[in-house]
Amino acid sequence: MPWLLLLKNLLSHPIRALLTLGSLIIAVFLICFLRTVLVGLEAGVAGAANNRLMVQSAVSLFVDLPISYQTKIDAVEGVEQTCKLQWFGGIYQEPSNFFAQFAVDHDRFFQAYPEVQLIEGKEEDFLAKRTACVIGTELARKFGWRVGSKVPLIGTIFPKTDGTPWELEVVGIYQPSSSNVDPQTLWFRFDYLDESLEAGAATGPPGVGVFATRIAPGAQAETVARRIDELFANGPQRVQTTSEAEFQRQFVSMLGSVPTFLTTIGGGVLFAILLAVLNTMLLAARERTKDLGVLKALGFRDGVAAGLLLSESLLLCTLGGAIGVAVTMGSAGFIADQVKMIVPNYAITAETAGLGMVLALGVGLLAGLVPAWQASRIEVVDALRAEV
Amino acid sequence: MTALIELEKVSRVYRRGGEDLYALADFGLSIEEGDFVAIMGPSGSGKSTLLNLLGGLDRADQGSVRVAGEDLGGLASADLAQFRADSIGFVFQGFNLLPVLTAVQNVELPLLLTPLSRAERRKHALYALKLVGLEDRVNHRPRELSGGQEQRVAIARALATDPKLILADEPTGDLDRASADAVLELLVRLNDEHGKTIVMVTHDPKAAEHARRTIHLDKGAVVEVVQNRPAKSAAPTEGAPAEGAPAEGAPADAGEAPAEAPEAS
Repeated sequence: MPWLLLLKNLLSHPIRALLTLGSLIIAVFLICFLRTVLVGLEAGVAGAANNRLMVQSAVSLFVDLPISYQTKIDAVEGVEQTCKLQWFGGIYQEPSNFFAQFAVDHDRFFQAYPEVQLIEGKEEDFLAKRTACVIGTELARKFGWRVGSKVPLIGTIFPKTDGTPWELEVVGIYQPSSSNVDPQTLWFRFDYLDESLEAGAATGPPGVGVFATRIAPGAQAETVARRIDELFANGPQRVQTTSEAEFQRQFVSMLGSVPTFLTTIGGGVLFAILLAVLNTMLLAARERTKDLGVLKALGFRDGVAAGLLLSESLLLCTLGGAIGVAVTMGSAGFIADQVKMIVPNYAITAETAGLGMVLALGVGLLAGLVPAWQASRIEVVDALRAEV
Repeated sequence: MTALIELEKVSRVYRRGGEDLYALADFGLSIEEGDFVAIMGPSGSGKSTLLNLLGGLDRADQGSVRVAGEDLGGLASADLAQFRADSIGFVFQGFNLLPVLTAVQNVELPLLLTPLSRAERRKHALYALKLVGLEDRVNHRPRELSGGQEQRVAIARALATDPKLILADEPTGDLDRASADAVLELLVRLNDEHGKTIVMVTHDPKAAEHARRTIHLDKGAVVEVVQNRPAKSAAPTEGAPAEGAPAEGAPADAGEAPAEAPEAS
């Protein structure tokens, strides 16, 4: 194989090569980005605990259940423990600083969520202080909070009657051990919320959004879920008990057809770049018809003529794929910061990088095959006669 | 002298508009090693077809084409490519240098098919360029050279592998008179001093005069053989037409293959 010729052919039209390369880089970047978003959206589902059930209103996630349900659920055969989870929806300084906040049973939370592992602070402080909260590492990093920091939250669902913000104190910073727990969440005590509502210091719907229910070892999740649902089948409020994975999937499905949309865009990008590279290679093959004829006349075999074009296509796409993957990896930190509220687990996996490279090579192979086949078939005499 | 080229009863037929057109019809030809033959004739007389058959770029429909001891009709495509690499040097009318490569890289191209090392290839290519008087243009690209210089690079490329036979298709067709003369002188020198066998297709009678013999074709057959200069071998082959006389038995219509074609040797 005349490698020098291959390289020089590739660089013979630098602007065209750069434009094709640029298209490839953008395409690979987009495909890797879209896949990472999809993987991120699914990460909560993939990492969900299989010994935890989520009990919510059968009507909607936005309808609260009576607090009294907790005792009844605790008594169901196969249930080890429940923990209240109440969405708080407060604002820290301004709405753009959005992050999730949940009021939870302070004395059950760490048993219910062993994935929440404190790397700073102590669980005892969460038990001891009514205004205590624990925050994820990402929140600590973003707002510069440390153990002891005060976090004022303006209630939107639960506003204080005197108009002041809720004053929480960071007593612990956690690093989740699984992707189903977001490192950008603030957990605080349910009793602080509930007592404030009862005392009239704040207003808002009484009740609980979800009971995170840990099932006893050996118990069948489906059986326990059915028992819980049957327990409240006749009211006063019917419940829907699902696995945590199913519960997480609700949030993904809340995005409607976004995952399908993203996949479709990815497929479209791939197809478009295939056409672009194929066009480049067909153009290159047409321009080089006479050169290929000369090579064959000099004694190079048909396979060399075909190999030149196929290799050129593969080289171009490998280069584009490698740079595209490098750009994806290099920009991952920045993009993760931009999208972390929607995709908290934005991280380029080896599979995604590998997929980007494989797709780029696939495009190179497909786009190179047609002109390579043509090059191998063309007769020397016809090639030498070609007018380019 | 031994015959380097031997064609016997060769026909090459093209199908055009449902009709068979004989580019060469029952054609015979013998060219000895060390000869310099010019092939002349009007368009469509079969000159290029003959050159393509000799170079293994095309295949005869009938008959035998033997070049340098090889029966080209019996060679597979890959073997034919190897034959071209080993035995033939091509010089084209349009030079056909690869525009992305420098002069020396163009000359090195056919050497990639040899077992020579990189350094040896470069040495051979530089020698070939020196032989054609372009040692000071080795790193120039084709577009930086004049037409005459480009053709000399093409000749250097044809010489690089030291082939037995050089086939030149209108080598001066795209050149001005001065450049054409320089190229022709070079071909004469390669024939006289280096013993290269050359078959040159040309429309130009002045160019043809540089060859030892001129074979005139018409309608796929030899019509005349002219001896311009003495052949290296003084003894003419039996049955050769008289100097300057049209070959006997030339078909009146190349569309019909004659029963017996003349053999120019």
